[in-house]
Amino acid sequence: MVSGDRSPRLDLVFHALAHPARRAIVRQLSLGERNLTELASPLKMTFPAATKHVRVLEGAKLVRRRIVGREHLCRLQPEPLKEAMQWTGSFRAHWEARFAALDSVLDDMQVEEQAPAKRKAP
Amino acid sequence: MTTGLQITTPTDTTIVLARSFKAARRLVWEAMTSPDKMKRWMLPPPGLTLSVCEVEPRVGGTLKLAWKSADADPVMTLHGEWTEFAPHERMVHTETMTAGTGEIVVSLVETHEFTETGGVTHMRITQTYRSKEDRDGALAGGVDEGMEACYRELDAVVAL
Repeated sequence: MVSGDRSPRLDLVFHALAHPARRAIVRQLSLGERNLTELASPLKMTFPAATKHVRVLEGAKLVRRRIVGREHLCRLQPEPLKEAMQWTGSFRAHWEARFAALDSVLDDMQVEEQAPAKRKAP
Repeated sequence: MTTGLQITTPTDTTIVLARSFKAARRLVWEAMTSPDKMKRWMLPPPGLTLSVCEVEPRVGGTLKLAWKSADADPVMTLHGEWTEFAPHERMVHTETMTAGTGEIVVSLVETHEFTETGGVTHMRITQTYRSKEDRDGALAGGVDEGMEACYRELDAVVAL
């Protein structure tokens, strides 16, 4: 049993991930530390726009920024992601597995339905 | 084509599972109401096996499932009763999960709705729990088993 039903922290994480640009940033950062320019360019985004998204991710504690000289280096903090996965992961995994099994049961039923017709053919 | 599972929580006490299947609606209906088919897809939680699967698919009919482990039989039972049964379209049944110790774990109502377009069946299951706490417990349930797999997946993408 996971508490987290009324977790403002989780609310921030889900809000932060509810934007494609921010998910793209998280994906990029999963490969390692990046500066803001490196994050902005593949997204065809202006520097201020990228900064805005990084701030939201920082607010959710998904990203930590450190300033080295003139560079703003961003790094992924995976702990809140783990917490979010803990909250949603297993229920989904259980039902996805069941419905995937149901897919194959249905495939078999469709084959069985067609089989007698084929046998009747000369 | 999207057949992927969508899980939503439209209210504090409900979970909606929506999924499409590449099969006629009558086949999906049969697979979800006949024990020999149900045994094949209603996969048990890790470490358990389905030991009882008895269903009387009609209004007033009962539903009885039980799971056992190597150490205990039953570990968990599910008792329910159908309150609506409109073949190929809609069924509603109650569901009470009881632990092997006799303690009631959770009670809910499940509504299944089916529509078919172009040979694809769209299924929508609405689970209605008695409280937000029960609903959230169901969402979080079994997390311990699922966690390890999630962590491994996450570890693969995230340099920790």
